[in-house]
Amino acid sequence: MAKHDTPMLDELEKGPWPSFVSDIKRQAEKNPDCWDILGQLELSYRDKITHWKHGGIVGVFGYGGGIVGRYSDVPKQFPGVEHFHTVRVNQPASKYYSTENLRALMDLWEKHGSGMTNMHGSTGDIVLLGCRTEALEPFFWDLTHELGQDLGGSGSNLRTPANCLGQSRCEWSCFDTEEACHHLTMHYQDEIHRPAFPYKFKFKFSGCPNDCVAALARSDFAVIGNWKDDIRIDQAAVKEYVAGNIPSNGGAHSGRDWGAFDIKKEVLDLCPTECMWMEGDELKIDNSECTRCMHCINVMPRALRPGKVQGASINIGAKAPILDGAQFATLIIPFIEVTAENEFENVIEVIENIWDWWMEVGKNRERVGETMQRVGLPTFIKVMGLDPIPQHVREPRSNPYVFWQEEEVPGGFDRDVEEFRKRHAA
Amino acid sequence: MGMSDDEIKAAIIEKAKKSPKPQLYIKDFYKCDPDTKPRKIKNLANALVREGELMFWSSGSTTMYARPDRIKNEEGDEGIN
Repeated sequence: MAKHDTPMLDELEKGPWPSFVSDIKRQAEKNPDCWDILGQLELSYRDKITHWKHGGIVGVFGYGGGIVGRYSDVPKQFPGVEHFHTVRVNQPASKYYSTENLRALMDLWEKHGSGMTNMHGSTGDIVLLGCRTEALEPFFWDLTHELGQDLGGSGSNLRTPANCLGQSRCEWSCFDTEEACHHLTMHYQDEIHRPAFPYKFKFKFSGCPNDCVAALARSDFAVIGNWKDDIRIDQAAVKEYVAGNIPSNGGAHSGRDWGAFDIKKEVLDLCPTECMWMEGDELKIDNSECTRCMHCINVMPRALRPGKVQGASINIGAKAPILDGAQFATLIIPFIEVTAENEFENVIEVIENIWDWWMEVGKNRERVGETMQRVGLPTFIKVMGLDPIPQHVREPRSNPYVFWQEEEVPGGFDRDVEEFRKRHAA
Repeated sequence: MGMSDDEIKAAIIEKAKKSPKPQLYIKDFYKCDPDTKPRKIKNLANALVREGELMFWSSGSTTMYARPDRIKNEEGDEGIN
């Protein structure tokens, strides 16, 4: 039986799509506190203002993240959501669960919290919505001791790292994303659980340039699988595709008749760098021009595969549009080996170089991508100890001035003015 | 010769007590000893939280530090001790 009248929310149940209002009503039959979520939301729709207060001091002992304080500013009217804290739980790598684990997690959440969840949050965590302050510690105890799971990151912490399915399911993955994600999660426990930075910092790991975890758009530090040598071509399979004996895109377009496969129209002409052509019935690729768009490999997966010398590219500085608009990450390191054999030490070295610099130079609430933008890419590359590559240059320079560093000038900036004046009179 | 850990901790507490703003970003503490690396200042500030001298305040996206007696508890109007 509904506790509040919610005419505006009820409208959201009328379409053909799933409705979060129906979901909350269903949960409210089990946990009456959930009626107050709907009541407060209806009031927010009427007042055109949120009735959640911003932030707080809540957390579990020893941690400075993983709990996001949420309080109602109308608690007398809606006591069920007086405290309605969000709990972020670190998701398993690639989000593989057993049904046993999911049931145990949901039982735990119904015991201590509202039972409302968000599977998953944008960062990747299991997001549990609605816990009273006094229930946080008992929930945390059960989560860690009974389920062997832990909280994720929030605030100015390293956020919960996330990865694609990687080599567990995908033949294109150029490194073991699950191992990398798990290893760095364990390595940086302190940074995940306690604030460390001027603002949030996110890692994401995608096994190939298809970037199924959207690392390029969503993470400060995107590790995206890549290869250094040539795309592997099976010419016999190319012929089979051309003959129409193998469906393109792994059969993904089989629900409709799109006509016969046309390799020129569907592959060669769509290559962004025009680095592919046919010689007779042989497919040729100028690999030095390939930008790893993955289109040809996606269309003809049985004929084309990533090269054998595999690793990753590191792209830094993506963020959502809170300040300055959204930005994609910038390619900083075109190729790096990513392997558990050296415990990912070369990746860790890059991460810590960035952190040491950003902790010092970054302003409060400034993402690393914004700091990079503020100081300029040339400065950032110098700080990272990297040599610039052509891909770092957006366009040829349009101003004629060249600013040298002293160490780049033979003899430095000190010189004998009198000697100079012998050759160049004032 | 830089400051000792205890001297830095004392400077952090002093800053948190006297700052006009009750809540401070971690970068506000860097000035307590400009010769010390930010990462070490962060570790010492977090140690002070464990010792009860400071508290975290988080909006969910940003975390700040405050003295327990200077921060408002959303569950009541009084500062908590």
